[in-house]
Amino acid sequence: MTTGPAIRHKPSSETAYTLGLPIGLGVAVLIGWQLAVRLAGISPVILPAPSDIVQSFGGVGGELLRQGWVTGFEALFAFVLSCLFGVAAALFLGFSTVAFETFYPGLVVFQIIPKIALAPLFTFWLGIAATSRLSYALFISFFPVTLATMTGLKRADTNALRLCHALGASRLQAFVAVQIPYALPYFFSGAKVAATMSIIGIVIGEFISANAGLGYYILRAQSYSETAHMFAAILVLCGIGLLLYIIPVQAERWVRRWWWD
Amino acid sequence: MAGYIHVDHVKKIYDSGKDVVEAVSGVSFVANKGEFIAILGPSGCGKSTLLMMCGGLEPTSAGTITIDGQEVTGPRANIGVMFQDSTLLPWKTVLENILFPVKIQRRPLAAYRERALELIEMVGLHGFADMKPHQLSGGMRQRVAICRALVTNPDILLMDEPFSALDAMTRDEMNDALLDIWDRYPKTGLFVTHAIREAVYLADRVLVMTKRPATLVADIRIPFDRPRDPSINNRAEFNDTCDQLRRLIEHKRTPWSETKAA
Repeated sequence: MTTGPAIRHKPSSETAYTLGLPIGLGVAVLIGWQLAVRLAGISPVILPAPSDIVQSFGGVGGELLRQGWVTGFEALFAFVLSCLFGVAAALFLGFSTVAFETFYPGLVVFQIIPKIALAPLFTFWLGIAATSRLSYALFISFFPVTLATMTGLKRADTNALRLCHALGASRLQAFVAVQIPYALPYFFSGAKVAATMSIIGIVIGEFISANAGLGYYILRAQSYSETAHMFAAILVLCGIGLLLYIIPVQAERWVRRWWWD
Repeated sequence: MAGYIHVDHVKKIYDSGKDVVEAVSGVSFVANKGEFIAILGPSGCGKSTLLMMCGGLEPTSAGTITIDGQEVTGPRANIGVMFQDSTLLPWKTVLENILFPVKIQRRPLAAYRERALELIEMVGLHGFADMKPHQLSGGMRQRVAICRALVTNPDILLMDEPFSALDAMTRDEMNDALLDIWDRYPKTGLFVTHAIREAVYLADRVLVMTKRPATLVADIRIPFDRPRDPSINNRAEFNDTCDQLRRLIEHKRTPWSETKAA
């Protein structure tokens, strides 16, 4: 019984350790940043101190929330679209060998293009409305989902597929009963990449042409040399990115529970 | 016509373009209904390939296999299979895994649920019906695989080294479990193994296969009645039969395959 409390104590001290170290580092960086800016007398136009950034929330907090809402909503929409489109493409390519052999090499070659270079074309073709930004974000974020899901479909337990064959299962039955469930964990790793890519896509779209959103706000703040506002907008973007990222992480947790419990 | 499964001059040749490998070269045997036949041989002798061809999972390169007078051209609904790996679906419970063939073959689930639960009881997995495979030991998972192979009450059971991945003690337990099942639900069985004692303990007949050429060299009748119990392991006849089989395998083994197997 004497070892009981020690054993129970261990995990909590470990948590404190694993949480405390990165938080400590963050606080140290912020303090160093604050001191460096103040002591060296760096102009807030070049690099605002953390306290300046926090202060700017007081003035433009409402504006940031409004612009953040536009960007966040579009990024969420792009993320959902890229998951749907990415999975649909993966199912199509994973099920049909002919489709795979026809489309896959082209898709891979397409991925070699630095896709950011194509962003202005989307504006050119689709105008400056949200459609153009959404299409671009979808364009850069669906492929990781497709690739990951397709990998999962191919990694399905070959013995389980042999079992299906032995039971006289059709190709579609084996695909639905075995391959798709095996692909689920892979899909989530693709969806996590898509969550970050879709917000990048929307912000790039806003840089090129928009009259709202955080990308648009950052460029406007830059033209007025309001560097602290730019940093504040970037912070809000981080928050949106985190919220988007939580969606696939949480969904994966549910699926894991379904798999293992 | 006598005999239930007829394997007639069956060959399997893998031709990759560069190499031509004769995995099975001219095998013939007849299995009677209700017989338990062990196919014994060193690893890589083509015995699993032979089993897969009997199940219609692999086409033959030459020769024919007939079951109950019908030529085997593909998988059949009246065959249950077991592999070396239990091949359970990790997201399905024990009961759902056992009912998987029922679902795939679009049979009425409700009608087979009762049978599945009865099988779970019989293999000693009482209380595990709602567990997931990762919560079970290797032996328990293989018991679930037996239930899955039996749930649709097939006439034939094909077993591809089903217990070779288990530890020795679990393996003995599984052998006894399989003997029990055979007494309760008599079937025609083909059991591939490279363990001599296992083959003698379980089977009515042992077919000995060698590699290069991958063919049958002996067909030994095992002189023990059923039901069998572990005591036959100690009988002189049991050991004599094992010795006889060992000599057959060793005699036919070439030095090359010996180094390869080590």
